[in-house]
Amino acid sequence: MNEGYSNKLKELLPQPIREFGGLISLIFIVILSFAILNIFFGQGDELVEKMKKEEARVAEANKLSEIISTLPSGILTFYEGSEHYKLSREQYETVCKITKIIPQRAVMGANLINFKATQIYNANGNQIAETFVNWDKKEKKCIAGFVLSGSVNGGEKEKITISGEVLNFLSTGIDTRVYFIKNF
Amino acid sequence: MKKYIFYTILSFLITTSVSARKTGCEGNCENGFGKWTYTDKTTYEGNWVGTQKHGQGIETWPNGYIYNGKFKKSEWSGRGILTFPDGSIYEGEWANGFMNGKGKFIWSDGKEKIGIWKNGKLQE
Repeated sequence: MNEGYSNKLKELLPQPIREFGGLISLIFIVILSFAILNIFFGQGDELVEKMKKEEARVAEANKLSEIISTLPSGILTFYEGSEHYKLSREQYETVCKITKIIPQRAVMGANLINFKATQIYNANGNQIAETFVNWDKKEKKCIAGFVLSGSVNGGEKEKITISGEVLNFLSTGIDTRVYFIKNF
Repeated sequence: MKKYIFYTILSFLITTSVSARKTGCEGNCENGFGKWTYTDKTTYEGNWVGTQKHGQGIETWPNGYIYNGKFKKSEWSGRGILTFPDGSIYEGEWANGFMNGKGKFIWSDGKEKIGIWKNGKLQE
């Protein structure tokens, strides 16, 4: 019965319309197949989001390396009376946001006026548990610090956080580092 | 043969480590007056006793700290002046690497505080 109808339809419709109908059906089948596959395996939105994030990360990295390349290598300060390169307020904020590393001398300098921190630092092989560099939006200051953890003379494990305003950075040409934490 | 190789390697290591150690020194950094430059560009110029900083000397850190004063067994001990990178100054007594005793702290904005310090803290 069905075969009869389809044969009748074939006879009634002209050849180009039949071909066009076949093409439309084929397209529909392809789209439907992809839609079905997408239901089972598709992570379309997640993938797009991941790609967008990655693009943003690459753009940010390029922007940061561009900023670093404009800075002279050496000490970058944020106080008067120094022969070193003085950062503008905008540069200071940008450098703060891109800086991640706090080298040993900066830690030792900040420890100078914190006896407990020095004790923990010395007793635990100069280990630094954690470092952080944050831009304080409210105060418009760059705050850096570190966490020291360990025991002194076999006593109980202690944890101490030292932080202060960053007033001097070091630009190596590849990255920037916190160089002076004013914690007094 | 094995012993020969072992002693050759050992003597090579000792020689290289001694020569590497010597490269940081200008003058006499064992017993006398000399300038030592550390790998991180920290320098010490002053008196040495038994390879330790002892007596009068100046230690300059690459990040801007400058200590000019007395050392005892490589520690800041005795009278000394510490200049912070921002220009703040502590002038006074030191012991075990810390402000200990009578001293004066001058902040970079000119504010001053004179007092007794204990392990880096001003005793109010």
